[in-house]
Amino acid sequence: MTRTAFERQLLAVQEDMLVMAGMVETAIERGIEALKTRNVNLAHQIIEDDLKINRKRYETEDKCLELIATQQPLASDLRTIVSVLHITVDLERMGDHAEGIAKIALMLADEPPLKPYIDIPRMAQVASEMLMGSLEAFKDRDPARARAICDQDDEVDALYEQVYRELLTFMINDPRTIQRATYLIWTAHNLERIADRVTNICERVIYLVEGRIEELNVSKY
Amino acid sequence: MRETTTPEHTALEDGAQPSVVSVGGLPYQPPHAAETAPTVLRLENVCVTYGGRPAVQNVAMDIYKNRITALIGPSGCGKSSLLRCMNRMNDLIHSARVTGNVYLDGVDINSDAVDPVQVRRHVGMVFQKPNPFPMSVMENVAFGPKRQGMSGRGRLNEIVEKALRSAALWDEVADKMDQPGTALSGGQQQRLCIARVLAVRPEIILMDEPCSSLDPVATLKIEDLMRELARDYTIVIVTHNMQQAARVSDYTAFMLASEHGVNGRLIEYGATNEIFTNPRDKRTEDYITGRFG
Repeated sequence: MTRTAFERQLLAVQEDMLVMAGMVETAIERGIEALKTRNVNLAHQIIEDDLKINRKRYETEDKCLELIATQQPLASDLRTIVSVLHITVDLERMGDHAEGIAKIALMLADEPPLKPYIDIPRMAQVASEMLMGSLEAFKDRDPARARAICDQDDEVDALYEQVYRELLTFMINDPRTIQRATYLIWTAHNLERIADRVTNICERVIYLVEGRIEELNVSKY
Repeated sequence: MRETTTPEHTALEDGAQPSVVSVGGLPYQPPHAAETAPTVLRLENVCVTYGGRPAVQNVAMDIYKNRITALIGPSGCGKSSLLRCMNRMNDLIHSARVTGNVYLDGVDINSDAVDPVQVRRHVGMVFQKPNPFPMSVMENVAFGPKRQGMSGRGRLNEIVEKALRSAALWDEVADKMDQPGTALSGGQQQRLCIARVLAVRPEIILMDEPCSSLDPVATLKIEDLMRELARDYTIVIVTHNMQQAARVSDYTAFMLASEHGVNGRLIEYGATNEIFTNPRDKRTEDYITGRFG
C-alpha cells in the first residue's frame, strides 16, 4: 500500500515552508541593504512583502490542518507536519524582525551616518547562513548539522554584544547620537532574535528525526 | 481457578516489574519502564500453528492490570490467534497447536491441570460480530452467573442490572428486559455481549475487533465504555483500526506477517503514545504511516 496523494501533499507543505524561508532570507538581506544604502523604496518594499510572508504562513498552516483532519498522519509523518507548523511560526516572526529592520532603515534614511556598517551586516550574513543551513538540515533530516548550526548562534551573540558596547560608547561620548545608536541597537537586536529563532528550527529538525525535544539554545544567563 | 503454579514460575507480586528475557532471538523489553501496574498476564515463548503452519511465533509480552493493550498488524499477522492464546480459545480450533507459557496471575493456563472453562471465566471475550444468545436481554446476561450455579431472582436481577449499568446499556434496556437480545441495535447488542462477560466478573476482557461491525457513533460509545471498564478490568483488544488503537489503548503491540516467509512475530510493543508518534522499528513506522499493509 502506498499513499501517493498524501505523500504529494506532505511534500507540498514542506516545499511551501522552504519557499517561505527563501522569502525571509531575502527580507533580511534587503533590510540590511536598505539600511546601508538609505534606500527608502526598498524599505517600503520589504514592509509590503512581509504581508506575503504572513499569508504564506497561514496558507501552509491551513494545508497542515487539512492533512491532520483528513489523513490522520502518524509517527514521522505527524512529526513532519508538527515541525512545519512550528517552523512556519518562527519564519513568520523572523520576517517581522526583517520588517523591523526596514522600518529602522526608514527612520535613519534622513539622518547622517553614525559609523560604517561592518558588524551589523556580518550578523545578518551569519544569521542568513544559519537560516538556510537549518532548512537544509531539515530537508536532509540531518540532526548533526542542526546541532552544528546552533553553535554559530554564539558568533551572532558575540557580535551583538560588540555592537551594543560600541554604540553605548558613542552615546556616552556624544548624547546627540543617542537616537541613531538606539535604532542601530534595535537593528542588531532584531538580527540576534532571528538567529535565536533559527535554533528553534534546529530543535525541530532533531525532533523530526529523533522524536524528542532537545533544547539547543540554553540561555547563558 | 485452582492453583496449579508450575514449580519454575511463581506468582508475580503486586507491582513486580517483568524481568527482561530474550525469547527466540527477539529481545523482550518492558513496554514502559515507568509502569507501576502489576503484570496480570505474562506470555513467554508463545507459538501457535494451524495444521503445522505457523501463525504466532515466539511471542513474549506482559499485560498490565487495568490497562488497555491493543494488538495491531496487517491481516493474517496472528493477532487474533495470539488473543485466543490468552484464554485458551485455540483449544476449540481442531488444527491449532499452542506451545509456550501463558501465566495468569502466575499460573500457566496451558497446563493440563487447568480447566479451560475456568480460564475463560477469568478471561472473558467479546467477538467481532455481536452474538447475543437467542433469548431475552435478562437471560443473556444472567446466563453466565446461572451456569456458575447462582440462583435466586433477586440476586440475579442485581447482578444483571450491575453488569448492564457497567456496560452503559441499562438506561436503554431497563424496560426491555424480556425482549430478545437480538432485537437490539448492533451497538446495543455488542454492549449486551460486554455485559454478559461482565456478569461473571472476569479479571481480563479480550476484545476481537469489537467495533468492526458497528457504525461510528456506536463505535465511540464502545470506546468510551472501554475507558470506563479499564478502571476495574484489564482489556486486550485486537483492532484493524489504528486510530482506535491510538484513541483507547495504553499499550500497543505491533505484529507482522510474512516476515521472511513466517507469520506472527511481535515486532514492537510499547506505550501507545510512543508507538504512534515515534516508533522504534522501521517496520512499525511503515505500517502505521500506511507505507505498507
